[in-house]
Amino acid sequence: MPSPMALNPSSPSPSIFKKKKSLGQLPSMATAASYLSAVHEADARARSHDISPTSTPALSLSSSVTSSSEDTVLHDIDDNRTGLAYPSNPPTSEQVFTTVHTEFGHCANESYRCVSQHNRDKPVSEHEIEEPPYYILITTYISYLILIVFGHIRDFFGKRFAKQYFTHLMPYAGYAPLNSDFDSFYTRRLKRRMDDCFSYPVTGVAGRTILVYDRYSEDCNYTQIYPGTKSRALNISSYNYLGFAQARGGCADAVEESIKRYGLSTCGTRLEGGSSELHTVAEALVARFVGMEDSLLSSMGFATNSTLIPALVGKGCLVISDEFNHASIRVGVRQSGAHVRMFKHNDMNNFESLLREVISQGQPKTHRPWKKILVIVEGLYSMEGTLVDLPKIIELKKKYKFYLFVDEAHSIGALGPHGRGVTDYFNIPPRSVDVLMGTFTKSFGAAGGYVAGDKVLIDSIRVHGQSGTYAEAVSPPVLTQIVASMTSIMGVAPPPLPAKTTLSLSPSSSVSTLKSSEDDVHPGMAPASAVPSWISLPPSLADGSEARMRIRRLAFNSRYLHAGLKKLGFITYGHPFSPIVPLLIFNPGKMATFARMMRGRPTPIVVVVVAYPATPLVTSRVRFCVSAAHTKEDIDTILNACDEVGDILDLKHGHGERWPLEEITRRSVELVNAF
Amino acid sequence: MSDGTTSALEPLLTLLAYSLSKLESTFYKVPGSAVVARYVKSSHQNDPGRTILELILVVFAIRTLLQSRTRGDKQGKNFISFSEKEIDELVDEWAPDSLAQPLSEWEQRDIASVPIIAGPNGPKPKLLATGKTVTNLASFNFSGLAGNEHLKERAIETLRKYGLGSCGPPGFYGTIDVHLNLERDIAEFLGTESSILYSQGFSTISSVIPAFCKRGDIIVADRSVNFAIQKGIHISRSTVRWFDHNDLKSLEDVLISVEKDRKKRRGPLTRRFIVTEGIFERDGEMVDLPKLIELKYKYKYRLILDESISFGSVGRTGRGLTELYNVPASQIDMLVGSVANGLCSAGGFCAGSTIVTEHQRINGTAFVFSASMPALLATSASEAISYLRNTPSVLVTLQENIRAIRAVLEKTEGITLLGHRASPIIHFSLRNASQTLSVMPPTYDFDAEERILQDIVDDALANGVFITRGKHLRRQETIDSRPTIRIAVTAALTKKDVEKAAGVVKASVARVLGKRR
Repeated sequence: MPSPMALNPSSPSPSIFKKKKSLGQLPSMATAASYLSAVHEADARARSHDISPTSTPALSLSSSVTSSSEDTVLHDIDDNRTGLAYPSNPPTSEQVFTTVHTEFGHCANESYRCVSQHNRDKPVSEHEIEEPPYYILITTYISYLILIVFGHIRDFFGKRFAKQYFTHLMPYAGYAPLNSDFDSFYTRRLKRRMDDCFSYPVTGVAGRTILVYDRYSEDCNYTQIYPGTKSRALNISSYNYLGFAQARGGCADAVEESIKRYGLSTCGTRLEGGSSELHTVAEALVARFVGMEDSLLSSMGFATNSTLIPALVGKGCLVISDEFNHASIRVGVRQSGAHVRMFKHNDMNNFESLLREVISQGQPKTHRPWKKILVIVEGLYSMEGTLVDLPKIIELKKKYKFYLFVDEAHSIGALGPHGRGVTDYFNIPPRSVDVLMGTFTKSFGAAGGYVAGDKVLIDSIRVHGQSGTYAEAVSPPVLTQIVASMTSIMGVAPPPLPAKTTLSLSPSSSVSTLKSSEDDVHPGMAPASAVPSWISLPPSLADGSEARMRIRRLAFNSRYLHAGLKKLGFITYGHPFSPIVPLLIFNPGKMATFARMMRGRPTPIVVVVVAYPATPLVTSRVRFCVSAAHTKEDIDTILNACDEVGDILDLKHGHGERWPLEEITRRSVELVNAF
Repeated sequence: MSDGTTSALEPLLTLLAYSLSKLESTFYKVPGSAVVARYVKSSHQNDPGRTILELILVVFAIRTLLQSRTRGDKQGKNFISFSEKEIDELVDEWAPDSLAQPLSEWEQRDIASVPIIAGPNGPKPKLLATGKTVTNLASFNFSGLAGNEHLKERAIETLRKYGLGSCGPPGFYGTIDVHLNLERDIAEFLGTESSILYSQGFSTISSVIPAFCKRGDIIVADRSVNFAIQKGIHISRSTVRWFDHNDLKSLEDVLISVEKDRKKRRGPLTRRFIVTEGIFERDGEMVDLPKLIELKYKYKYRLILDESISFGSVGRTGRGLTELYNVPASQIDMLVGSVANGLCSAGGFCAGSTIVTEHQRINGTAFVFSASMPALLATSASEAISYLRNTPSVLVTLQENIRAIRAVLEKTEGITLLGHRASPIIHFSLRNASQTLSVMPPTYDFDAEERILQDIVDDALANGVFITRGKHLRRQETIDSRPTIRIAVTAALTKKDVEKAAGVVKASVARVLGKRR
């Protein structure tokens, strides 16, 4: 009896073909080559479009069908079921909107604007922290207690009876477990229960709305199942303060041009063959934007702090840090080898007494004076939405002679009448701060970060900072987005001599309310020479009028959401002008439910919920990030959603006066101006 | 009706009672359990509320312990109490150093000598200062992807669909589908279960190491690992043992001595890691991967391998060392590579098992706390991978160019060529008494040697070849190694071009060294 293989040597390949064909529903192929190319194509399609690791052929097929129609956002796939695709009030003929409504909302009503500026009559914080009723605190602690107790019980029995789930937590074959079950307890037993609220895969522009991939889990969030469908949701979560996350418009056009001109990478570190002229241009512009002598860019926001702080301080130096400073600052300080002390969040009395103590005591044990003291604060705190008390710190700085480092990751672009951050907001000369640091991820829709200061300092960081020698340089498309968005916020000043050409370039520049720019006036416009000639921004961006509108829309939206939530009876934290609006939820269970309910509404809203360890244990919160891209109607939608969900979840524990929702939406302008 | 339910419940109740009694008996088998039971029973009997109270107390005690922050030194015995007036005087008296020192003359020259490129970077970029076109042997463009039109097209398509920035960290709506696609592409390309994407190559490994290595764990690392690894080790607070540079014999000795130590102290089983590089950024040496893996299995260590240089530059299709040595990548527990270097995009990745990557999604600080990378850089990297898959010829060209340059430089007087012959980065140092790249004595005059090397670099640039010194942050690195000049070979140049360029370098070396004599 011959073996099956020998029976018909040519049979295996055709039979495989047949089988595959019936599986993939492919049209009949004349040759193996054409079949292979078809398979390759199908594979490539699947590769580029489906995202779930456990995808089936049917799934990838369905997602590739939709792909052709969603290539551009302009011809969007979604009908207006969610009410997000088109404005509720259709624009009139004289209103011309250059943005895509799903990316940047259309809002023509000039009364929905506000100027972000510190009022000297008011205290810096402008808000007080409200305490929830005791039963909320107690139930919160009990909730955590139950979670912890049950978690440990499950661990105890699981390790004995369901060993397959615990292999990575137990020693095996002479290896210690990769993560100890103590360290991962919180992740496994608490976070896993609401994993469906985190790390949502999205697609498209993270603008006013965002497309999220639908998913569900059948095994308590161990695995997520992606049916391949997407839904559009109102995005109140991305750090898109000025709405520059856009696939269309002047900035995106400039980026496209830069890709054609400069490619995608500068292929190396700044000091070893990766320095481009674009870096020089961008650094000069950033310095001018923030009002410093010089600046240095880094290709990652986190790394800006973690790799450049060690160039500022070292052994024998002291860093005084706000207790709520970002993780990147902590990493940077730890790497520097400097001594660290912390003061209570924004508590200036605590800060001053700490200063008096450390200066009088000197270094521990030796009592030698500190070489230098660097105070690191954030302009706007990302979890609290609070503003730093900069006027007071500057006052103390004169007396105590410390150096001041302000991390403006969230405040740059978002605060101040000209979008120049906290110094602009408080009308403090930027050069009274020693180091200004910020990121481009948030307001500018780019990536990376910068430090700015005087020339000696920046040159020293260039040479002694880690990123210049070891980290890849910022890539050209990112640099262009930075330059284009920043220029549009500053506005391009017409060059003094050839007046005619500039007039034709930006006809509306005479409307500009800003002072004409002499060289060192801050905040001034960008001279045309500071911007590469190939970046041609549309007139509304070039004269800065659109960006001014964005800054004022952001200020209105922030204040409106803050005020609206307060009037609805919620407990919120943070400064009214802060685009970060934390709404306190307290109970861990409500947190996940809140996120799910907001997403499940007829107009889905995606929110960020944060809990311990990012916040103190009891004060779990949802964090709204307002954008200039939102319209007043969007904020109404959010207030309405919070109102309904808040009633169900018993979240309204504020003490202030309460208004019904209709009154809030009707009297919004009054509310914003009075609040 | 009620009878029916009772009878239905009866077997369940018996089961419950049975398991409870079983539980009780197992509990009492544990030594010391009787004492605990008696204590709990009596306290519960006297005051049932007390049990809850105590439970809460325990939880709080744990919480307080975990939250211990740096306390003030007020209670310390070194604290001196001053009156307010004295403090005021001390404050007035205190004169801090300036925040930054002006650059020294040498540092100024160093920074001024960095050429700035006008227009796109690539094999033959134009310099801003002189307007001249030079041959680029300094930038990382191993497989010649810089300026690739397909990549650009793909990037523009992505731009029009996704915009530029991701506007959020991965946890908060910053995970774009293109990131997941790239993560899968990398995992498939290397043959690992999954991978995780970081938005900067340099920050990748310095975040991966502390995600796994904690206080008390043991790291055995090569003495000459790159700066990012050093930072990662520093942050992790693990116990570090160093072995001699690229010397697996020395590694084995260290592994044996660690094991001996552990047996002597009878300590608990801790996590143990070997951390090293595939191709060393510092000198272009290559690790003997099969031998390394053998050792790792023999002594039960996990391997963290940094392939920042070797990924995208060695192996038949650029998969790195695993392809070169034909070792399954799944045998490396954490394989870290650079998307920025190897794929001419930005960012870095860590590939490994799903457990390894998922752990980092919560514990990798640079992953959690930073915005994800721009979508267009992710898609161009995906495109670069498919380019590497489909065009193995570029890596053949790269190897030919490497051989051509080494052939010329080997014959050059006065320098020592370092590194492995397949390494895409070629370091050379001045030929002095000490040949190896070992730890230099602190009295060693680095500056003088660096100046000579910088003269060579400047001379080569004046003659149309762009190379660079291998730059390091002296005094921040754990060891200061011998200054070198670094050549980064690219496949985008023809063999003729690189031979000519190597000839220029050779002539520059001769000229500069000739002047000195």
